[in-house]
Amino acid sequence: MATTDLYEYPQELREEFEATEAIQFRDGSQATGADIWHYMTEVAPKKYPYAYTQRKYVDGRMSRDIHLPSAIKHNYLLLTMNDRINKSRENGSPVIFVQGGQSVDPYYAAGGIALRPASVGMWSRGRHEGLGLNEEVVRRHKQKEKAYHAISFEACQTAGYESIQEGGLPVDMVAPFTCLRCSDISYGVEAHRHGPNKTVKLMNIDYPMRHQADKQWAVEYFSDNLRRLTREIGKIAGREVTDDDLSKEIRLHNEGRRLAIDIAELWWSADVPPTNGLDRRHILQMGGMEIHGDPSASLTILRESKAYISERVKNGIKAEGVVDKPVRLFICGSCVRPNDFRIEEAGAIIVGNDNHWSDICTLVKEEGDPYQNLAHAILSYPYEQSVELRAAWTIEQLKKSGADGVLFLYQWGCNTQSAVARMLCDTIKRDTGLPTMIIEQHEGGSEQSEQLLNRINAFIEMI
Amino acid sequence: MAIKTLEVIRKRLEERPAELKKLRENGQKVVGWTGYNVPEEIIHALGFIPIRIAIGGDDRLVEVGGRYASSKNCVFIREIVGAFSENEDPFIQQTDILAFDATCLQNFRAAEVIEYYFKKDVIVLGVPRNFYWEEGKEYFGKEADEFTRLLEERAGVSLDLAKLGESVALYNDIRKTLKSIYSFQAAKDNVISWVEVFDLIQAVDLLDKKEYLALLHQTLAELQELQHNPVIEVDGNDARIFISGSLIPRGDRKLINIITSVGGRIVGDDIWTGILPHLDLDIKEISPAGVALGYLNRTPHAALPYLDLESDRRLKKLHELLAEFKAQGVIYHTLRYCDPFTFKAKETKDVLAKSAIPVLEIHTEYAGSDYEALRTRLEAFVEMIKIKAESAAEVTV
Repeated sequence: MATTDLYEYPQELREEFEATEAIQFRDGSQATGADIWHYMTEVAPKKYPYAYTQRKYVDGRMSRDIHLPSAIKHNYLLLTMNDRINKSRENGSPVIFVQGGQSVDPYYAAGGIALRPASVGMWSRGRHEGLGLNEEVVRRHKQKEKAYHAISFEACQTAGYESIQEGGLPVDMVAPFTCLRCSDISYGVEAHRHGPNKTVKLMNIDYPMRHQADKQWAVEYFSDNLRRLTREIGKIAGREVTDDDLSKEIRLHNEGRRLAIDIAELWWSADVPPTNGLDRRHILQMGGMEIHGDPSASLTILRESKAYISERVKNGIKAEGVVDKPVRLFICGSCVRPNDFRIEEAGAIIVGNDNHWSDICTLVKEEGDPYQNLAHAILSYPYEQSVELRAAWTIEQLKKSGADGVLFLYQWGCNTQSAVARMLCDTIKRDTGLPTMIIEQHEGGSEQSEQLLNRINAFIEMI
Repeated sequence: MAIKTLEVIRKRLEERPAELKKLRENGQKVVGWTGYNVPEEIIHALGFIPIRIAIGGDDRLVEVGGRYASSKNCVFIREIVGAFSENEDPFIQQTDILAFDATCLQNFRAAEVIEYYFKKDVIVLGVPRNFYWEEGKEYFGKEADEFTRLLEERAGVSLDLAKLGESVALYNDIRKTLKSIYSFQAAKDNVISWVEVFDLIQAVDLLDKKEYLALLHQTLAELQELQHNPVIEVDGNDARIFISGSLIPRGDRKLINIITSVGGRIVGDDIWTGILPHLDLDIKEISPAGVALGYLNRTPHAALPYLDLESDRRLKKLHELLAEFKAQGVIYHTLRYCDPFTFKAKETKDVLAKSAIPVLEIHTEYAGSDYEALRTRLEAFVEMIKIKAESAAEVTV
């Protein structure tokens, strides 16, 4: 791929960027602004040309808000995922595959690194250097196809099977919370039992259903699951995990969650959107402390982002590429989303989403038994409650974010969120009068289909 | 050689909705249940009339149900939701309370949808995914206590353990008798077919349990008179088929009809609406938790994940049943979007291939559009089994 086709960060930004805060890593090391600038402008374009594509509508295209340091730093952390995770593993931190919509405090408390499918995908992608966009997409699809073949073509997700079983990615354990957000999770974990990789440990952290947070026995059961989890990770990491380890980790993750909540409220309070939708989502997702495979690194960026966004809100700075008075969309549903660039081009902006946000904005009590506290908080995720309770929480988010409409998206093959879609939308319409639309989406393409975007554009136009 | 009692049972099933209506007018309540781990004895002991909500085969109801749930839910769940929407099924019409379990999470979602749109009174029993852990069993015991409490509230009485004991004894007798009858259908020169036994098993879902047991005993007596010593062995002319995978509920006979129409002889099953739920249910303690644990400790449903392939009891049971009924081939039936079974299809095929058992996966739904395609595939499969059996017989000679 000719390098002239690739995006280049403007050199005039260099000095300003290099003076920004360093990223502090969990192992005590750091990456200064200068290190990051060098990597993003000299190293990464050669290693990962696909990430620098100029094609506007590619899913995963990097943010062009170059005056927001966190956008560049976030991408730095994604592009260095392979190097960083390999280094951490060599230093004794096992990697555990988890799933979306869950917090990761116990995994880190036990000395592990918790990675969701998207992060495992980034790690896996990082092992293949020099690929252009099309080559990278073909590689990814070929790999995914192997997983569908080994599991089921009706699977909405494959629990990292393609990377862990077919791709040789050295994940140490597959141990997500089951039943949470997605009904296929436990089947995905189980599928690993027939794969060629016999060394990966498997465990389901069983999330009870139906009024679970109100049942003491459900809290105790889930708490027992968490204890078993930390014990098993501790065995791999070669350490005993104490209650104090978990308490400390909860405090650290609570800081991330609080920062994300503060940033969301700042963002929503602004007269004009202070960032584009893509950066808003990435920054808030850092509050889940999972996205970079290093909670300390995520915290550094969150703190810096809060300061930048405060400044933009105070000065009424509008993000580039966003129209004046955009239609404000809130996204509900499972792990898919519309393309932010296309949404903004159509005159709208995504102002929030329930997926992930539900767990990020659930703080964990810091006094008392950490396992019980964590179990209770996790079983209280609004996204996992009855339809009426979930709708009540969603409506609160709609009001806070000033949303004009709701898009409910679910992944093709998703049984569980698809079944909730109409109930949730009907309740939202009943209680707020806001327009809603339900869309089924198939993730995995580099660009979204015109049919999908036509429907969304018509919805935006209608609003 | 028709079994006379089967005719009586068919007639009683036709009369049953009107009978339920009368019983309800006299103050009794009907609990419609669905799930794999619903401890039905508790419902029965509390004086409710339990009936199972397991219907299928109607593509129109699938379409209707999909409008409330989604087109990505399995066809069985969509049909159930559709049936509540249309409210034309004579048994569903008679339900006062619904009891669903969360063995399959789509079942759990169906409960939510039915509760939300059709304002039904729904009780949900949580089921642990880590069902083999002690902690999982303890959780399930507590869920069973809660399930009982919610039913007691609706019954207006407390559960009497003596009555629970009577219900357990009644159901145990039903299970034992069913098992005895089941072996007749697989025997050489059988006087009852698997299809007839399958219908007989499903009648338990709807009839009064004491009456049903009496009819079962009568059926068994008839069978014993007609065939003193049933011997299960391979007959040269048979293609002995075992059905595994997704459930086949009342109303769905597409696959069964095709198999028999192309000359296959079904001799066994391990499906949720077949014999499997009635096997190996050992209730050690007469209490809600004790009954519930008996259910949980049976051969697990595919919706409950088990992480070690070598010691998987579901696959072990499948092998046991294949050997017991001398099956020569397996039809692995998966319903559209039935994740518990579709996710395991390739694995099951690989496992059975190691045991040199031919498998044909049939992925289908309730529409008739794939009928001829299925017929062609099943015909070829049955023919292949017959040729294989003939070749084996020639080698032996």
